[in-house]
Amino acid sequence: MVAVAQHPNIELVTYAEVSKISGYIGNFQVQIKKKAKYVDWDACTGCGLCTEKCPTKKLKDEFDLGMGLRPAIHKLFPQAVPGKPYIDAGNCRKLTEDKCGVCEKICPVGAIRFDDQDQYLDYEIGAIVMATGYDLFGWEEAYGEYGYGKYPDVISGLHFERLVSAGGPTQGHIRRPSDGKEPKQVAFIKCVGSRDDTKGKSYCSRACCMYTAKHAYQVKTKIEDSEAYVFYMDVRTAGKNYEEFYQRALNEGATFIRGRVSKIYPKGDKLVLKSEDTLIGRPIEVEVDMVVLATAMVPSQGSLELAKTIGFSTDKDGWYQEAHPKLQPVETFSAGVYLAGACQGPKDIPDSVAQASAAAVKVCGLFSKSELATEPMVSEVDMGKCSGCALCVPICPYNAISLKEIQERGGHGHGPFTRMVAEVNSSLCQGCGACIPACRTAALNLKGYTDEQLVSEVDALCL
Amino acid sequence: MKKRVGVFVCQCGTNIEATIDTEKVAEYARKLPGVVYATTYKYMCSDPGQELIRNAISEHQLEQIVVASCSPRMHENTFRKAVVGGGLNGYMFEMVNIREQDSWVHHERVAATKKAEDLVRMGVSKVLRNKPLQVSTIPITKRALVIGGGIAGMQAALDIAEAGHQVVLVEREASIGGKMTQLDKTFPTMDCAA
Repeated sequence: MVAVAQHPNIELVTYAEVSKISGYIGNFQVQIKKKAKYVDWDACTGCGLCTEKCPTKKLKDEFDLGMGLRPAIHKLFPQAVPGKPYIDAGNCRKLTEDKCGVCEKICPVGAIRFDDQDQYLDYEIGAIVMATGYDLFGWEEAYGEYGYGKYPDVISGLHFERLVSAGGPTQGHIRRPSDGKEPKQVAFIKCVGSRDDTKGKSYCSRACCMYTAKHAYQVKTKIEDSEAYVFYMDVRTAGKNYEEFYQRALNEGATFIRGRVSKIYPKGDKLVLKSEDTLIGRPIEVEVDMVVLATAMVPSQGSLELAKTIGFSTDKDGWYQEAHPKLQPVETFSAGVYLAGACQGPKDIPDSVAQASAAAVKVCGLFSKSELATEPMVSEVDMGKCSGCALCVPICPYNAISLKEIQERGGHGHGPFTRMVAEVNSSLCQGCGACIPACRTAALNLKGYTDEQLVSEVDALCL
Repeated sequence: MKKRVGVFVCQCGTNIEATIDTEKVAEYARKLPGVVYATTYKYMCSDPGQELIRNAISEHQLEQIVVASCSPRMHENTFRKAVVGGGLNGYMFEMVNIREQDSWVHHERVAATKKAEDLVRMGVSKVLRNKPLQVSTIPITKRALVIGGGIAGMQAALDIAEAGHQVVLVEREASIGGKMTQLDKTFPTMDCAA
């Protein structure tokens, strides 16, 4: 992370979103919205005094998934890069009620800016790498049998990561959320939302088998006299040293039970899991202190809108669509837009890193040339035939068609006049042909696939 | 433009040959109007296969080329380059898909062969109406935008930056690092995520 921030060739724009993208490969125009942070990061030294003194201290910390507390002015987490704080405007008393203002008074370098506004930055860009990642499946709405999120000690794998992390709300001690006690029996349920057509997604999320093995291993090694029960459909360990790692979890004494959990219900301060051990064909019940769900990966919030803004496609589950599943795994159907990491489909860290480097090589390959050859099989307009109806304009998925004004000489008693005709930007046009059937005057033709050529093929088949 | 079409029917090992009688397709192609040369080969995309196309262009003064093989998504570029290598405009070329759309989806050899003949006839008819197309060029701004500052975005940004190009890395949150920063140790090496 620090290497990224320190690299002279990288301009880091955080707390920001892409608001507009136009243009085409080699020549994108991008507008980035930098959200107001209310802190001048150029002046701020990151000393942390404001965070310490902010009186609004009891906000739920999103980074710890609501299990810890944070003030209104804060860093995302202590090791944040850049290591500067920002104000959560909705919860700041100065910004909502015009009271307080403590941070401004105590900041030794005067970096607080309560009048900060959203800024828009414009960039000329040659290539785009999408790396929008994933979110976790909202199991609370889908899995009633696991309590719809009602039981505080039924948590997701990411909650568990925060609990077991030295930088987390419990400093790495595994404590269950309801009463802060150390759980002795912990159950893990895999494929919550993954491989479940009825309630979730049909696909496998790929990383869960391994992180659940890791979680079970951590329970067994961090908590004395503990039990870790893992309910699974299959154990998928297809990666270098993955099977060995799974064996390590087994050797530590984790109990793997092949079966789906059909119900979780509370009993005293325990949770009871009803399931079946399908390997011995018997129903079983397990009493535990905490349950961890390995929830499916789903596309990151907002990723669909971003794909539409840029103009490339997503698959049936909303993951970004690669140009070819085997031969062009990091390219998209939009030239100059590449994919890295889980935005293309569920991935673990090694795969994400490998794909990111692949996308980087594609960008470097493009940048190794000073000019780019364009595909000549694109749409062209016969201006004499074009009526300027503009039906083709909204149909183009690449925003390649616009109207332009042309001069006509007139005649038959009319003087010179102007009229509108369609114009195709041959750099933006991908030759998909969507505009052709929309053209009522047959003024549009796709070079290499003209009406004449297509009719001749049909004639050759039918006549 | 003279009408001198060359037809090259690929066997793709047994991918095509097992279901389609490629010799028969080539023989049929020779009788089509405009076709002056037709042949088959085991792997048309291979080096000797491409050499075959290049040599036939000069030997038979071919002006239009039809390759009956796999999907254009697989090898259109390969054959277009071979056609250019033979001295023709790369767009005086048509690819006819007799693998994905014929041999792979049919079992009956006679009917599949007949279909391949139909497809080749269509391709020949089209290529006779092809016009040379010219490739144009556009300039490239050598600055990359990486959207998302998680593990994938950071790695891509670093690699591009290391190669000497400018990178703008946009992150929605106030810090880069993404989901990874929320993780404790990571499998299988159990090293830290931050």
